[in-house]
Amino acid sequence: MNQSTHDTASHSKREHGTTRSYVFGFILSLVFTAIPYYLVVNKTVTGTLLLATILGFAFLQMAVQMFYFLHLGRGPKPLYNVGFFVGTFGAILVVVVGSIFIMSHLHHNMMPAEKTMKLAEDEGIHQIHGQKTGACEGVHANHKITIRNGIVSPAFVEARLCDTLTFYKEDDVDREITFGSHPNHGTYAGETELTLHKGRGKMITLGQPGTYQFHDHLNPGTAGYFTVTP
Amino acid sequence: MKEFLLGKLDGHALPHEWFTIGGSVAFVLLGLFVVLVLTRLKRWKWLWNEWLTSVDPKKIGIMYFLAAGFMLVRGGLDAIMIWLQQAISVDGSQGYLSADHFQQVFTAHGNIMVFFVAMGFIFGLINYIVPLQIGARDLASPFLNTLGFWLYIAGILMINMFFLLGGEYAATGWLAVAPLSGPEFSPGVGVDYLIWSLQISGVGTTLGAINFIMTILKMRAPGMTLWKMPLFTWGSLCSMIMAATVFPLLTATLFLLFLDRSFGTHFFTTGGGGDPMMYTNLIWMWGHPEVYILVIPAYGLFGEIVSTFSRKRVASYTANVLGLIGVSVFALSVWLHHFFTMGAGADINSFFGLMTIIIAVPTTVLVFVWIATMYKGRIRFTNPMLWFLGFMGVFATGGISGVMLGFPPADFQLHNSLFLVAHFHSNVIGGVLFGIFAGITYWFPKIAGFKLNQRIGRYAFWCWIAGFCLSFIPMYILGLMGATRRLDHYDSSTGWQPLYVMMLVGGFVIATGVALQIVQIIASAIEKRRLRDTTGDPWDGRSLEWATPSPAPFYNFAAIPQVTSRDAFWEMKKQGLPKPVYEDIVMPKNTAAGIYISILAFLAGFGFVWDIFWLAGLSILGIIICVIVRTFNEHTEYTIPAAEVEKLEEARARATKAADAHKVADTGEDMGLREFIKVVLKWAWDVIRNKRWRTW
Amino acid sequence: MAHMVTALEKSHEEKVATDRVMFGFWVYLMTDLLMFAILFAVYAVLHGNTMGGPSDRDLFSLPLALGETLILLTSSFTCGLGMIAARLGKKNQVLVWFGLTFVLGLMFLGLEFREFAEFIHEGHTLTVNAFLSSFFALVGTHGLHITSGLIWLGVTLAFVWARGLNAHMVRKLALLSLFWHFLDIVWIFIFTIVYLRAFV
Repeated sequence: MNQSTHDTASHSKREHGTTRSYVFGFILSLVFTAIPYYLVVNKTVTGTLLLATILGFAFLQMAVQMFYFLHLGRGPKPLYNVGFFVGTFGAILVVVVGSIFIMSHLHHNMMPAEKTMKLAEDEGIHQIHGQKTGACEGVHANHKITIRNGIVSPAFVEARLCDTLTFYKEDDVDREITFGSHPNHGTYAGETELTLHKGRGKMITLGQPGTYQFHDHLNPGTAGYFTVTP
Repeated sequence: MKEFLLGKLDGHALPHEWFTIGGSVAFVLLGLFVVLVLTRLKRWKWLWNEWLTSVDPKKIGIMYFLAAGFMLVRGGLDAIMIWLQQAISVDGSQGYLSADHFQQVFTAHGNIMVFFVAMGFIFGLINYIVPLQIGARDLASPFLNTLGFWLYIAGILMINMFFLLGGEYAATGWLAVAPLSGPEFSPGVGVDYLIWSLQISGVGTTLGAINFIMTILKMRAPGMTLWKMPLFTWGSLCSMIMAATVFPLLTATLFLLFLDRSFGTHFFTTGGGGDPMMYTNLIWMWGHPEVYILVIPAYGLFGEIVSTFSRKRVASYTANVLGLIGVSVFALSVWLHHFFTMGAGADINSFFGLMTIIIAVPTTVLVFVWIATMYKGRIRFTNPMLWFLGFMGVFATGGISGVMLGFPPADFQLHNSLFLVAHFHSNVIGGVLFGIFAGITYWFPKIAGFKLNQRIGRYAFWCWIAGFCLSFIPMYILGLMGATRRLDHYDSSTGWQPLYVMMLVGGFVIATGVALQIVQIIASAIEKRRLRDTTGDPWDGRSLEWATPSPAPFYNFAAIPQVTSRDAFWEMKKQGLPKPVYEDIVMPKNTAAGIYISILAFLAGFGFVWDIFWLAGLSILGIIICVIVRTFNEHTEYTIPAAEVEKLEEARARATKAADAHKVADTGEDMGLREFIKVVLKWAWDVIRNKRWRTW
Repeated sequence: MAHMVTALEKSHEEKVATDRVMFGFWVYLMTDLLMFAILFAVYAVLHGNTMGGPSDRDLFSLPLALGETLILLTSSFTCGLGMIAARLGKKNQVLVWFGLTFVLGLMFLGLEFREFAEFIHEGHTLTVNAFLSSFFALVGTHGLHITSGLIWLGVTLAFVWARGLNAHMVRKLALLSLFWHFLDIVWIFIFTIVYLRAFV
C-alpha cells in the first residue's frame, strides 16, 4: 500500500515536475534570454553569425521550456504529444523556410528593370532587346597571371577595357585572390574573391578602367596590380 | 448613427436581380416548407431533442450527409449553369449570364463542392464509421463534434446568405487570390461572404479534426493497436492530422485577407509594400493538402471494400498504411506546383516538380495493393465494388494527367487551361466523390438498417461514368486545344463549341445519375422489409462496425469488443462470438451549446461582412460566455445501468426476431425503374382517389 | 474493500479522461502554433517593405522588449509553481501563484499596449505599410492570446475560489498552464525574430 502511494507520488513528480525543476528551468530560461540580448546590444559578433546565435538560443530556450515547464516526453506512453510536436515543428519549418525560400527566389527573378540590367551586365550579357547593358561585347585579348611558390608573374599587367584576365595557380597552397591592398579589401567590377584551384584558371572581364591592386588574402605578401585603359 | 447600426447595409443589398430573387425565393420557400411540415407533424420538440442537440456521432453523421447532399445539388446546379453559359455564349451571343455573374457562379461552385460537399460527406462518414470501427461508444469530445458540425452549417448559411442580402458572391475563383480579392479590386461584400463562410466552417473542421485525432489515438477498443486499425480508420487518422495541420494555415491566411479588406492593412495589396504572391504561396500551402485530406479517407475505405468484396485480406496492410502516411507527408511539400508560372525560377520549380512526381509513388503503391487484393479473389460486383472500379479508371487518368502537370515545362503550357480543370475534376470526382458513394452504399445498411437497391444503383453508377466521360474527356481535349479555364465567351472560329456542348450534355447525364441516386434511396425505402439487414453484417464484413446490429444502438456496443487481430470481426466470426457481459455505460448528455455558439459565430461573421462592428463584438462576447458556461459545466454525462442495457438489448433482439418473421421472401432482383414508377404512380393515385392528404 | 476498488477505478477513469483532454489540448496548441507560423512567415517576408518609412530598428526599443520577456518568463514560472500547488490540493497557494501570474500577464499586456499606443500616436499604424501590418498582426495576435488566457485564468480562479479545488478544476488549471507556457514559447520567438533580429 505504502509502496504504491510512493510510486504514484514519484510518478507524478516525474510527470509534472517539482519546485526545484521549475526554479532550475526558470534560471536557465533567464540565462538564455540574457545571453542573446547581451550579444545583440554589445555586438560581440555580427551578421549572419549573430543571427544564427540568437536563433540558436531561442531554440534552446524553447527546449528548456518544453522540458522543465511543459514536461514534454514524460507523460504516459505512447508519447503521441511528442510525435505531434515533432510533426508540427517540421510543418512550421516547411511553412516558414519554404515561404522565405520561394519568395526570395521570386523577388530575385522578378526584380525591377534596372536591377535586371545590372544582373545582365554582371552575367556578361551585353544587350537585351537591343538595349546595351554596359557589359563587354565580343572577345578581346586575354592576359595571364600565374602564381607559383608565392611568386606572381607577371606582377604587373597592362590591358585595355574589355580584355580578360586569367589567374592560374601552380602550387599546392590555398589561394584566394581579393582586390585592393591587405587588409582593406575592395571589389573589382563586381568581383570580390576568386578561389584558385590548381590547374584551373579563374577569368575575369576587365570592364572597369583604372589601376587596381590584388593580393592573395591568405598570404598577403603575394600581390600584384593591373591597369585597364579605356 | 445609421452607419454604426447597419454598417454598409442598406436597401441596395436587398435582392433585385433574377438570380438573387430566385435564390432568395427558393430558400425562403424551402424554409417555409420545412417549418410547415414540422409544425404540422408536431415534430419540433422531437427534432430538437433527438437530432439538433444530439451529440451522437451517428446522428451527426447523418445530418452531415443530408447537408452535404443538399449542397451537392446546389453546387451541381452551379456546374450546369457554367456549362450552359459556355455552350451557348459564342460570337454574337453573350449567353444568359453576365461576365461578373459567371465568375461568381464558378467561385461558388468551387467553394461549395470542396468545403460543403466533399468535406461534409467525409466528416459524415468519419463520424458514423470511425467510432464503430475502433470499438468506441462515443467520441473523445462529443461537444467539439457538435460544435464542428454546427459551424459547418453556419458556413453553409453564410455562403448562401448573399442571395438574401448583398446580391453578389466573390468573383475571384474559389481561392480568392490576391490582389483581385483585395479591397481595391473587389470592393463589394462577395469576398467577405467567402472569407467568413470558409473561416467559420474551417474552424469547425479544425475542431472536428482535433476531436477525431484524440478519439482514434486514445479511445480504441482494448487490443486494437495502431497496426490493427481498419484501413478506413487509418485513412481518417491521416486525413484528420493533415486537416489539423493545414486548416490553421487557411484560418491565418484568410484572417490576414480580412484585415486587408476591413482594416486597410497591406499584406496582399499591390501598394503599401504588400505582396500578392505571398497570398498565393500561403493559400496553396493549405489548398494542396486539402485535396489529400478529402481523398485519403476514400483511399482507406477502398482498401476495406476491395478486401470485403474479394473475400480476401488486403494484399499488404503495411504497404497500404505506409502509402497513406506517405501521401500525407509528401502532401505538405508540393504546393508550389500550383504556381510554377509565378516566376520563382528554375531551382524552385524543379524541386517542387520533383516532389510532385514523387507523391505519385505512394499513391501508385496503393493502387497496386488494391489490384493485388482483387487478384485471385472471389469478387462480388456489388455497388460499392462498382464505384471502386470506376474510381480506379477515372482516378488513374486524373493521377497521370497530374504527373504531366507536375513537369514545370509542360505546366507552362497547360497551366490555367481546361486540361488542368479536367485533371482535378478527375481526381475529386473520381477519387473523392466516387469514394464517398462507395462508402455510403457500403455502410448504408449499417446506417439505415436496410441495403440499398443494387439495380437502380447500377443505373446511377453508369450515368455517372458516362456523364463523366462525356464532360471531362472533351475538357481534356479543349485544354490541349488551348481553351483557358473560366471562359464566359469565345469565338466560334476556335472550333470549341461542339466540345463545350458535349460537356453540357455530360452534365445532364451526371444530373440524371444524381436523380437516380435519390430514386435509389426512395426505392430501397419502399422495399425496406425485403432489404432489411437483421444480422448487422450484410456483406460478410471484416471490421468491427459489422459486429454491432444495424442500425447501431446509440451506445454502439453493448459490450466493448476485445480485439486480437487485424480483421477483428472476421476473426471473431471464425472463433464464434463471445456472449456479451453487460456493464454500466456512461454516455454524454445532449447539448445545444454548439448551436448557440454557431449562431453567434454566424452573426459575428455577418457583422464583419457588413462592417456592423457592434454586432460582431457582441457575438464574440456571447461566444466567450457560451464557452465559459459550457466548459465549467461538470455534469455533461449520464450513466445507463447494466440492467437497463440488458433490457434494451433484449428488446432489440425481440424486434429483430419479429422483423425476421415478417421478412418478405428475397425474390433475388431488386426493384427496377419501371417497377418504381409503377409503385409511385399507384401511391399517388391512391392519395388522390382517397383524398389522403386530409389526414396529413 | 469494495468501496476502495470503485474509488480507485474512478480515479483511473478520471486519469484516462484527463490524459485524453490534455492530449487534445496539446493538439489544439499545435494548430495554434501553425497559425503563428503563417504570421511569422509573413513577417519574415514582408518586414523589409517599409515603403520609405521607419524600419524595425528605428521603432523598436530593446529594453522594453526585454522587460516584456522577463515579465512573461516570470509569469510562466509562477504559473508552474501554481500548478504544483494545485496538484497538492493547496487552494490558497493556487490562488496566490496564479493570481501573481494574472498580475504579471496584465503587466505584460500593459507594456504591449503602451508600445502599440506609442506607435499609433506617432502615426505608425497598421495601415501604413506591409512591415507595420505584419508587425501588428504577429504581436497583436499574441496579445490577443494573452488576453484570452487572462480571461480564462480570471474565470477559473473565480471558480476555484467559489467551488474549491476539485479534480475538474485541477484539470482546467493544467490546461491553462499548458496554454500559458505555450504563449511564453511563442513570445520567445517574437522576441528573437522581431525585436532582437532588428538590431543584428
